[in-house]
Amino acid sequence: MTLETFLTLTEDEQLILLTEDGIYIGKRTDRLLPSILYQLDSFYVEIVYRKYRRYIWVINCSNSTAILDPYLDQVGSVIQVN
Amino acid sequence: MSKFTDQEYLVVYADDDPDDLELLTESFRQFASHVRVEIFSDGASALSYLLNLSALEPAPCLIILDINMPRLDGKECLKKIRDADRLQDVPVVLFTTSISDRDKEFAARHNAGFITKPLSSSQMEIIIHELIGHCADDVRKIISR
Repeated sequence: MTLETFLTLTEDEQLILLTEDGIYIGKRTDRLLPSILYQLDSFYVEIVYRKYRRYIWVINCSNSTAILDPYLDQVGSVIQVN
Repeated sequence: MSKFTDQEYLVVYADDDPDDLELLTESFRQFASHVRVEIFSDGASALSYLLNLSALEPAPCLIILDINMPRLDGKECLKKIRDADRLQDVPVVLFTTSISDRDKEFAARHNAGFITKPLSSSQMEIIIHELIGHCADDVRKIISR
């Protein structure tokens, strides 16, 4: 799966793929909006919620590791999962 | 903690993420006439509660455990639950962001379910029924009424 292919999927298809194959990286809250970050193959997918794990505000995708920066304080727990 | 009544089934849920605790508690509210959810922020507290249930109180109809928790993680908690005579047959589900085959195999080895945490409202609706589906048939029928 490439980022380009992922972007052609519907939101529901993207979420199913993340649930089945995404590697959970971490969680953060910015301006009251919780978000969670996944790695899928060689790219990253960030889901920003209006309401946690319920209503999605936006899905951000990137090939760049810069998307990891706000989650860096959780790097020590990357190998652990909730 | 409120006292258990015979109209209620007990669900025990342990997770160190307060947002996940709230999410699941809120989702179980649709079954509030039959289900009481007791929440714990780590496996040790949940295990202590479970092991100290009086003989007069029914065992939980379902135990839901996050994997990564302080003090006692979900997998260790599951092992100790299976070692307890009264709890060894209680349905347990590991509720996690993990997709690890090792974690799935661990759950299966300990006669527990394995459900990945949802990413949306529609997935949550499916998952809440999957969780209830792990309860015994008679309990599930009453809860789902």
